[in-house]
Amino acid sequence: MRGPDLRRLYDEHAQALYAFLLNLTRDEADTHDLLQDIFVKLARDPDLLNHARDERAFLIRLAHNAAIDLMRRRGTRDKTREQFTVEGGSPFAPSCDPDEQAFRTALAEALAGLPAAQRAVVHLKLWEGLTFEEIAGLLDIPSNTAASRYRYGLDKLRERLRPIYEEIK
Amino acid sequence: MSTDDFEQKLQRQPLRQVPTDWREEILTTAECAAATRRAPPATRPSWLSTLSHQLSTILWPHPKAWAGLAAVWLLILAVDFSARDQSPVVAEKSAPPSLEVLVELKQQQRLLAELVGSYEAPDADRRKIFSPKPRSERVEILTT
Repeated sequence: MRGPDLRRLYDEHAQALYAFLLNLTRDEADTHDLLQDIFVKLARDPDLLNHARDERAFLIRLAHNAAIDLMRRRGTRDKTREQFTVEGGSPFAPSCDPDEQAFRTALAEALAGLPAAQRAVVHLKLWEGLTFEEIAGLLDIPSNTAASRYRYGLDKLRERLRPIYEEIK
Repeated sequence: MSTDDFEQKLQRQPLRQVPTDWREEILTTAECAAATRRAPPATRPSWLSTLSHQLSTILWPHPKAWAGLAAVWLLILAVDFSARDQSPVVAEKSAPPSLEVLVELKQQQRLLAELVGSYEAPDADRRKIFSPKPRSERVEILTT
């Protein structure tokens, strides 16, 4: 893969990878490092994408594996850090509307409270628009598992966000 | 709240944009990494570093647990070796007494037994009791 290809890949997929990684890691510095690692890997191994049927799915899979590795390395040592970086590591754009901003902050906090496995499925379903079959293939899990993780995750979000959602609806 | 409304509300939340200054930084780093990769390696990794890499891959999920286990094994080995070191000393200490000491002990034992009145001659002093065995008829036949 030559330079322009790498740039094309960045322009087409970096935004999705960034949002996904930020939602998983909750840390902008970690997200930067992981995103950079992905592109370094692509640059070092130009044939990596040759057999990928879907570039976006392949890159999200790389991002997911890298994020899971990072979280395992972090372990319990930095669990408290996750709580403190919810504000700074929110995957949502800031809003001028105070109600909307409050909802986004609450949503970011509620997402941070989900297990990483549920959070990944919820993100891919809601903000990447993938089907359960696609998510299952991407995360190497059965599609029933993907669907149940989504349901559990969504139920938890609904419970936590019910008051603020009813208020601003 | 209905699930559909709630899901749609979540889907409508705009995601944060990737910082614009990351693009050049990340792409430059990636291209530099690719360039250094293409250059021939100066030295091959030694077998020791390869072994270390393999080990770290195997032990990676719980390195502290493995290190603890290794420490316990080392402790067990150390205790085992220290116990073995003491055994020759014990053997030296329990070396057989000299002949004079044995004779003296035997005399004392005999004297004590005589005093108590239950002295029995040692096996060597006992006469062997003759017990006639039945003659074999076959031997008789053979001799006649």
